[in-house]
Amino acid sequence: MKRPAPSADRPSIHDIRPVPARNVGQWLGGAVLLAMGLLFLQILVTNGNMKWPVVADYLFDAKILAGLGMTLLLTVLAMVLGLAIGMVLAIMRLSSGRVFQWISWVWIWFFRGVPPLVQMIFWYNLALLLPEISIGIPFGPKLVSWNTNDLITPFTAAIMGLAFTESAYAAEMIRAGIQAVNPGQTEAAATLGMTRAQVLRRIVLPQALRIVIPPIGNDTISMLKFTSLVSVLALPDLLYSAQMIYARTYQTIPLLIVATLWYLLLTTVLTICEHMIEHRLKAAPGQKTRFWDLRFFPRHRSTHQSAEVQP
Amino acid sequence: MTPLLQVEKLRKAFGTHEVLRGIDLQVNRGEVICIVGPSGSGKSTLLRCLNHLEKPTGGAVFLMGEPVGLRWKGRSLHEMTFNELARQRQRMGMVFQGFHLFPHKTALENVVEAPIIVKGVPRAQAEAEAMTLLDKVGMRDRAHYYPAQLSGGQQQRTAIARSLAMKPDLMLFDEPTSALDPELVGEVLATMRHLADEGMTMVVVTHEMGFARDVADHLVFMDGGVIVEEGKPSEVLINPRHDRTRAFLSRVISET
Repeated sequence: MKRPAPSADRPSIHDIRPVPARNVGQWLGGAVLLAMGLLFLQILVTNGNMKWPVVADYLFDAKILAGLGMTLLLTVLAMVLGLAIGMVLAIMRLSSGRVFQWISWVWIWFFRGVPPLVQMIFWYNLALLLPEISIGIPFGPKLVSWNTNDLITPFTAAIMGLAFTESAYAAEMIRAGIQAVNPGQTEAAATLGMTRAQVLRRIVLPQALRIVIPPIGNDTISMLKFTSLVSVLALPDLLYSAQMIYARTYQTIPLLIVATLWYLLLTTVLTICEHMIEHRLKAAPGQKTRFWDLRFFPRHRSTHQSAEVQP
Repeated sequence: MTPLLQVEKLRKAFGTHEVLRGIDLQVNRGEVICIVGPSGSGKSTLLRCLNHLEKPTGGAVFLMGEPVGLRWKGRSLHEMTFNELARQRQRMGMVFQGFHLFPHKTALENVVEAPIIVKGVPRAQAEAEAMTLLDKVGMRDRAHYYPAQLSGGQQQRTAIARSLAMKPDLMLFDEPTSALDPELVGEVLATMRHLADEGMTMVVVTHEMGFARDVADHLVFMDGGVIVEEGKPSEVLINPRHDRTRAFLSRVISET
């Protein structure tokens, strides 16, 4: 084939910008998906069974808002407790004491293996196994005793199920975080005369937690949704409050939508928080980042620009 | 007079691999000792055994007559725990090849951390002393920078100030310039030279023959886990008595 000769009506290659390559598949696929999305939206809006006015009526219902508060309380308590236990488990797992390592391993194995729903029901029925809980000298006299049924309310059973499950996952995350810290940090701290606890508290944990914060954020969002399991214990969280209302009014779908909207709102808020924290952590220490510096849909197109930024 | 540091018949093995095969060494107060030798000769391991970052498998190290990491209880000898060792470790500052500054703290915070946490020095006093030290290593104007914002040389000088803040009896340097870009080596060596001039006792594992020649009071050449030759740097470097020393020196000097 003959090479096309440079012609007078064509500009020089040095004077002209090339037209970017187009991906026809992306455009076609995008159009199809967009059409399907619009169709779905149309169903949502026009289907009379959605009963949007009912949704609006119950969105800020006192019972729903109380349930929302319970969901938040459960999430926060379960996370705080789970992380605290997880931190202890992670440190035990990494200690040189064999018994510590072993107990931590068994705890993690157990609570990662048993579904939280099963646990909650089990904890709630603990009285069938241990009718009475006492504090006293082991194998000796009892000092104080409680009736297990007074101690284990639906709330405590729910917190135990959620927090213990979380503790197993948190332990593994924190352990990985601690192990990711350069061992030279511990050596440097040791040569300065720090004790084990000081090295851990002042040097290793602050660096480990920085690594672990993104997965913890992720876990918090999961936890928010896991709390809906407590409806089996008749604990009035967001879902159970909605269920109680529709059991009376038979407005099943609208009330589920009320709950859905609130769950979506909360996860959105948590996602934004997580993004901001992650963004601040990614910045080099000392580098100032602005509060609103977030990108939900980062564009990876301008490879030329990012190549130029490299020193 | 008891030497500041006395090493007797020190041995270290990793599994079946013997890295140190009987080291005897003496460090007097105010002395600068440079340890040189080919890589794998056990220099760094020796240094790390001095403050028990590595637990020796035989022999002993004495800091002012006191065994490091070991304690007599009547007639039986006991290993110290990490926390018991801390008291001895803080008397031996250590500077690492990889700096190991605390990345979540500024240069100043790195320096004041141990005096405040370990010794309970009031913060204001610790900061004043830290600024004097940072000034000494030429880092005063970078006191509020984080390690990631500093060059390798600046990080290493900060690490030196951090160790000095504990007012150690001696300083251990583990190849302090090996991880640096060539143009940054000089500033760290100058800081160390300054420290030596002030009378600080130093044990330096290094590949910098010029520094060893000019600053060391005593030069130790190691190979294969033993001290092959030691003496005044001028003698060892110019008139080595052993073939292994000669071979090493001709290799190192032809490079530079």
